Amino acid sequence: MAFLTMNRRCPRRRSMLRQTTAWLLWFAWLGAAVSGAAAPTTPSDEYKLKAVFLYNFAQFVEWPAPAFREPTAPLIIGVLGDDPFGSYLDDLVRGEKIGDHPLLVHRYNHGEECSGCHIVFICRSEARELEKILARLKGRSLLTVSDVDTFTRQGGMVRFVTENGKVRLRINVEAAKAGELTISSKLLRPGTIITPGKD
Amino acid sequence: MLAFALSAGSLSGQTPQSIPSPDILKKMSVDELLDIEVTSVSKRPEKLSEAASAIQVITGDDIRRAGATSLPEALRLASNLEVAQIDSRQWAISARGFNNVFADKMLVLVDGRTVYTPLYAGVYWDVQNLMMADLDRIEVISGPGATQWGSNAVNGVINVTTKSAKDTQGGLLVAGAGAELRNSEEMRYGGKLAPDLYYRVYAKQFDHGDSVRPNGRISNDAWRAGQIGFRMDYDAVAGDLLTLQGDVYDGEIGQAGPDNIGVNGGNLLGRWSRRLAENSDVKIQVYYDRTHRLIPGSFTQNVHTYDFDFQHRLPLGSAHDFLWGLGCRFVRDDIGNTPANAFLPPSVGHKWFNAFVQDEFALSKDRLHLTFGTKVEHNDYTGFEVEPSARLAWRPDQKQTVWGAISRAVRTPSRIDRDLFSPATPPYRVAGGENVVSEKLLAYEAGYRVQMEPQLALSLATFVNTYGDLRSLEPLNPPQSFPVQANSGLRGRSNGAELTAEWQATSRWRLRAGWTELRVHSEPEPGSADRATRDSIAHDPNHQVTVRSLLDLSAHWECDASLRYVARIISQSLPGYAEADLRLGWRPTPAWEISLLGQNLLHAQHPEFNTPGTRRELQRTIYGKVSWRF
Repeated sequence: MAFLTMNRRCPRRRSMLRQTTAWLLWFAWLGAAVSGAAAPTTPSDEYKLKAVFLYNFAQFVEWPAPAFREPTAPLIIGVLGDDPFGSYLDDLVRGEKIGDHPLLVHRYNHGEECSGCHIVFICRSEARELEKILARLKGRSLLTVSDVDTFTRQGGMVRFVTENGKVRLRINVEAAKAGELTISSKLLRPGTIITPGKD
Repeated sequence: MLAFALSAGSLSGQTPQSIPSPDILKKMSVDELLDIEVTSVSKRPEKLSEAASAIQVITGDDIRRAGATSLPEALRLASNLEVAQIDSRQWAISARGFNNVFADKMLVLVDGRTVYTPLYAGVYWDVQNLMMADLDRIEVISGPGATQWGSNAVNGVINVTTKSAKDTQGGLLVAGAGAELRNSEEMRYGGKLAPDLYYRVYAKQFDHGDSVRPNGRISNDAWRAGQIGFRMDYDAVAGDLLTLQGDVYDGEIGQAGPDNIGVNGGNLLGRWSRRLAENSDVKIQVYYDRTHRLIPGSFTQNVHTYDFDFQHRLPLGSAHDFLWGLGCRFVRDDIGNTPANAFLPPSVGHKWFNAFVQDEFALSKDRLHLTFGTKVEHNDYTGFEVEPSARLAWRPDQKQTVWGAISRAVRTPSRIDRDLFSPATPPYRVAGGENVVSEKLLAYEAGYRVQMEPQLALSLATFVNTYGDLRSLEPLNPPQSFPVQANSGLRGRSNGAELTAEWQATSRWRLRAGWTELRVHSEPEPGSADRATRDSIAHDPNHQVTVRSLLDLSAHWECDASLRYVARIISQSLPGYAEADLRLGWRPTPAWEISLLGQNLLHAQHPEFNTPGTRRELQRTIYGKVSWRF
């Protein structure tokens, strides 16, 4: 590229290089300062709201009876991947019951671990594994939820879309039906129902 | 797009409140939850001042469905812009008039980096070759945005944002071929380096065919270019965002004459933002940008830009949302002159410093908001410049917004205004304008937005602009036309209206329409002898109408069409034209997408800009594209 030839022509090459180096060093320092800083644990408003939606899904989705081992078995909300909710989700569902099912939050690192839960939020960290994860969960009575862009297109059930600063729902009803899940109209009406294979 | 703009407006219009407590949230209905505004650091609109403004937002999906192959093509989706393709690679793009090849009253940013050249304050659109699939959104604001954005944000701001590396994980290959864009290949791969640390790398190259002359012969302006780049995002859950990104490009552009134009350049940008509290954050951004352009027979341009920006947002009491910032920019250029034209002196360094304050004051919570503030800038040519604005937004209910604004904006002189001489040695026919001062705009705006039904949204923006000290070319020995010297001898006024509508006709069919009316007038100020420039500074159609249809034929098939009408440009004797684009997209599986795009289908060839002698025309063209995710 002409990068070098241009510099050769430029009489102020040295001071330019020095300036560039100084800026880069300054930026590197900035980076170091940031990565060294302690990370607080409250999630963003966006994820707080998404956590509340997960809680709502527990209320507005009906699972077939076999999804629970016994009438008082817990309804498990799973978080797969790098958890964006921190302790907010746990605090939110603590002590809550859906019918006779107490709510519980479990966290998973691998797709194969989450088959025992009822709702699974698949974090963006798993975007690349999505196809495998969804293939494994296909047809199970497990509400799959994510905010990965391609989620519903790849066969996921509920996708969060943040538009205009508001969280929107895209619901793939066909996929939910395949898992014998019944989604209440209270969710379907305000959500956007999408046809399989779409965003 | 409009619905987006509506809510973007309402989002930025309200003082961001932290969301309610968990106990309250749990009791809310789904509808109420869907109505809560969340303002994550990454998604928070950067400019609260723009709440009451004519903003349109083009999303990545809009761009995909329009089949846009370049940034200017994507900008055709904003009906508040005038977008005219001049030849195979040059575009005249502006809002609210004074459009030109070197349209100099628009501020264009890509991921926070200013991309207009400081030599003439216009944009070289032929080197803004982003990977189209990386585009997250483009905000197009017609009207001044100088209070927050600074000089050059006179008639509008185009703010291009690419996706976070977090959202571009995995691989993507895109290849296309067609009659105009002869071939184009884009590759991207994204991965994760550590928890919360994501990256992507991409490469793009293309080969673009010639435009044609009115007689149908090719005009020898074919070009090709390549660009590679990367982006890294550290996106911690808690609110720290760190971005490092860079691009390098190289291209070769045909022109009349024996030698091609050579372009290359690169940039490196770092940005850090941290959330301090629910509605308080800081942002620091630093970048370096280098451009090189060799125009045989004209100039060789080397420009280095170093830019620093700091911004802090904090609440003051419960009713005030306060934003302030500081910035500086250093530009050093090095021009290789020719005997015919010269920038004198050939190499200069310039400094800009700025500070701004802005307060959004909730006069009545959620109903009446006043945003006022000013930017103070210092530049080496004209010293201090002040760019204040006041905006008022009234929301009688959740579905309507009425807004009004008064703003002052300036375009500070650029190199071409002060330092351009022709020929390179005396006696000059064109002499640099040592007396050129900043162009000044006083703008009055008013607008109304309404979400009539969940499926129908309308927005109307109107404006009256008055300009002073517009650049003129003053004959030094009138009545002889030459020699001339640049000065600030023109004034102007413009007014117009921008109406947009979006209608979700059925769950599978969306319609969007835009209608823009514009009247621009310019004249010499008393004492100016300029009788020629006033006819050449503004090339604007009085009317523009666009209609777009987005139709999902089935789960796998999409059919999208657009129709645009642009009225004649009187100053160029350019006839009005209507043109249509049609796209058919097929997604057999989530990983594959195949699309066929027809552009400019109504005529074999048509011109969009320039006077008859210099005019180039664009041909009807077909473009096919395959993309594969892995």
